[in-house]
Parts: sequence; structure tokens; C-alpha cells
Amino acid sequence: MNHTTPRTVQVVPSDDTGALRVHPGPRLLDGITHGPSLAAHRSVAGPLPDLALDGLLEQLRRVDIRGRGGAGFPFATKLESAAKASGRTTVVVNVSEGEPASLKDAAVAMTRPHLILDGAVLAARVLGAREIHLVLPGEHPEVRRSMQRAVEERRTEDGRLRWRTHQASRRFVAGQARAVIELMSGRENLPVTSWQPEVFKGYKGRPTLLSNAETYSQVASLALHGADGYLSLGTADEPGTALLTVDGDAARPQVLEVAHGTPWGEVLADHVLDRPVLVGGYHGTWAAPSALRRLTVSRPGMTEAGLALGAGVVLPLEDGDCPLHRTTRITDYLAGQSARRCGPCLNGLPALADAVRAVSRGGQGVERIEHLAGLLARRGACAHPDGTLRLVQSMLTAFPDEVDRHAEGRCSYVEPAADATPTRCLTGAA
Amino acid sequence: MSKQIRVDWPSCKGRGICHEMLPEAIALDEWGYPLVTGDVDEDTLGLARETVKACPTLALRLVDAR
Repeated sequence: MNHTTPRTVQVVPSDDTGALRVHPGPRLLDGITHGPSLAAHRSVAGPLPDLALDGLLEQLRRVDIRGRGGAGFPFATKLESAAKASGRTTVVVNVSEGEPASLKDAAVAMTRPHLILDGAVLAARVLGAREIHLVLPGEHPEVRRSMQRAVEERRTEDGRLRWRTHQASRRFVAGQARAVIELMSGRENLPVTSWQPEVFKGYKGRPTLLSNAETYSQVASLALHGADGYLSLGTADEPGTALLTVDGDAARPQVLEVAHGTPWGEVLADHVLDRPVLVGGYHGTWAAPSALRRLTVSRPGMTEAGLALGAGVVLPLEDGDCPLHRTTRITDYLAGQSARRCGPCLNGLPALADAVRAVSRGGQGVERIEHLAGLLARRGACAHPDGTLRLVQSMLTAFPDEVDRHAEGRCSYVEPAADATPTRCLTGAA
Repeated sequence: MSKQIRVDWPSCKGRGICHEMLPEAIALDEWGYPLVTGDVDEDTLGLARETVKACPTLALRLVDAR
């Protein structure tokens, strides 16, 4: 990999993830070798500038920071809405990544927790907010510890700010915005119907600025470097950097920071580009072999190519792994992650998983998938059914020839055994 | 402005009364959950309000059509 710098920092978010390699980067992951303390952060980043709402909004509009939880909503719009809404705003930092394959927020939380907190403090100051809530991942104890330690270092810094921490439950949908507000309110950490955006009516029915950990880090980075500094990386249309989680190919997952506009050929090893790559995570989209060769790390650029950068998860398939077989397993997992409260999700995701399995085994299923699409889209309290559908539909778009091949009882990824027993993707073995 | 039925999905238990009362705007999917098929116009507005009230799990709302 071309981006590799000699010294990576190894962190262990949890026993489940094992060791995670974090590569030093130009902005958010700058200075990670100095440790996560507030003193180290200040020595790398300098003091947090005192910005007023108008000043911050003006800078945000120049650089157009988008939400990094996956949806890509403009942060300036959200901040302005919170400022205009009536009632005192609560600031919420979502460190509980919904995507199980995403580890980039965990990486920042363990290497530069104070960058996340700088962004939250800045937002709280310009909004006159008194409370900052951090929602910490249930599945990553070390991430929780790192953020708790950082919050303890902050408690004495500004007496007017109150810090609250919450532990999310260990399930995919727990990180959804409405599920997070439920958790903060002392209810079950599950999505509920949103009748109004939480920025207008969220926690306790009051305006709530809820964004993901990387987003706050990006906002802090903008304040610390200034708009001109921020604009010096990335492209004119899409300034700044993005955090990526790359997994599936190497023995250990890695997190790296790259400037927008960086060709994928500089991010992934050459042989990996010729494989199917799942981009954006389990709610993401499949890139066909070598599709990434002509693309760059760019949200609009990927969208134009029918792909979704989402929360920056990049999962190249292992050599000899079939994308149809893999999609079957992921869809099964996602069906099991339903909170089982919305009828279409509860019934539709297992039906979708069955249809994907049928396609993978060479049977009929494509029409069933298309029918289920109409029954799943936008029919739930959260985006879980929509995200699962996106993954499955992208399998049909990215691998039409492979779907045909499976229908003929063949698979071009997995070699049939010498005795001509059908391969595991056609028999359905895990 | 025309209105639209919106479903509070975690509350909906698929009893199907909404479809019986307002087939013009609500069909049922293969599992018995409401499929909103169209907006509510002035002629059906009164019936739509009755339908919202009749839902045994209070899972329906009438909102401005988007």
C-alpha cells in the first residue's frame, strides 16, 4: 500500500475485533503516536479557537463537511437548524457505529479522543448548549474506556458544560439516531418512528444536534486548521479527508485517513482491485472486480458510479470467496439483526435472505427480490430494511453474469472439487 | 394540500382494519401490513380521519403529503 507510513498505532477495541492497525494520517490521524491524553492533543493541535456561530457556519459552508455516519447530510445545515430551533439544544456524539465492519470511529476514539471532544465542545459553545452526551459502543469496551478517560480530563476545563455518557446495546440498529435518543431517554435502545427530524424535536422533545464521532473530529479539524488549511487537502468540490476501514484482505483490520480524490489504486493493493469489493459496509454496495480502478475516494464520485461510500468501510473479498455466497451470509446476519418490531422488516428480511440464498444456489429468486424491494423500501422506523435491500440489489447489479452462471450450476469464484461435487455456494454450506 | 397516511411501524400489528375502511389508499402486503397506495384527497378526508381513529394500535397518522 502506498499510503503506509512506517509507524502505525495498534489498538484493541475489543476481544471480538482483535488488534486494529491505525495508520497516521494528515489531519484526524495526525500525531496519533503521541498518545490519547489532553496534553498530547494540545501539543499537536494547539488551543481550540473561540468561534461564534456565524464564524463557524461561514467556515463550514466553505468546506462543506458532510455527516460521516453514512448518510452524508451537510453539517452546516444541521447546525443552523439547531441554532434556529426553539429551546436549548443538546449536543450528542454518536460513537456507537451502526456498521459492524466499521472501526474508524473506534480508531479516532482510541487515538485522538480529544479531537472528537473539541468538535463537540465547539458545537456546544456556538449553540449555547449545556449538555454533551456521548453514546459509546456496547461491543467495544476499550473505546468506552478511552472516551471516559478523555471526558474526565475535560470535566474541570469548562464548569458550565455537563458531560453524560451512555452505553449502546450490542446490535446493528442501536446506533440509529432515534434509537440513540431512546437510549438517552432511559428507554430501550431501539429505533422508533421519527415524526420530525431530531434537530428540531429530539431528546426531551428539544432540539438535538446528533452527529457521528468522525463528523465532530472533522469540525474540530476545520476550527484548528482554519478553512484555508482545511481546503489544502482534498479536491475543490470535496475538500478534506475521509476515514476508511479496510478489512477482509489483510489479517487485521486497518483504519486510514486519505484525502478526498485519492485514487482507489493508491488505497488498495493491486491484486485486491481485481476482486469484488464491498464498499460502505453491510448496508453498502458491491463494486464489481476492477470497478474501483477508475474511481477515487469521493462521496459524489462513488454515487455517480452507483456505489455508496457510506461510513467508509471497504471489504475486499478474499481470494476464492464468491460474492453471491457472501451476500447470502451477510443478508442472513442482517435479517437476524432486525429489532423485530416493524412488520415489513420482521417478515421481509428473512424472505429476502431466502431469495438471495435461492439465487446463490442457482435457483429462482431474482423476481422475488424485485418484488420484496417494493415491500421493504421506506417501510420501517429505521433504515435497516433499506440498507439491507441496497446490498442485495447491488449484488444483482454488480454480478449479473455470475447470477446467470449460478443458474447454470457453476461458480467462477470457487473451484469445483475434483470429484465434481458442487461448490459450497451452490450447496449452501457456510 | 392533499394528505397522506403515515404508519408508525413499530406500533402497527397488521390488524388490517385500515384497509377495510380505506381501500382507496391502503392495501395490505403479503403479511397483512398496510401498503399506502395513494394520497388522501378531499372526498376521502373524512373517512381517512375515521380510519386513523379506528386503528386499534394507534399506528396511523394523517400528515401533509410530500
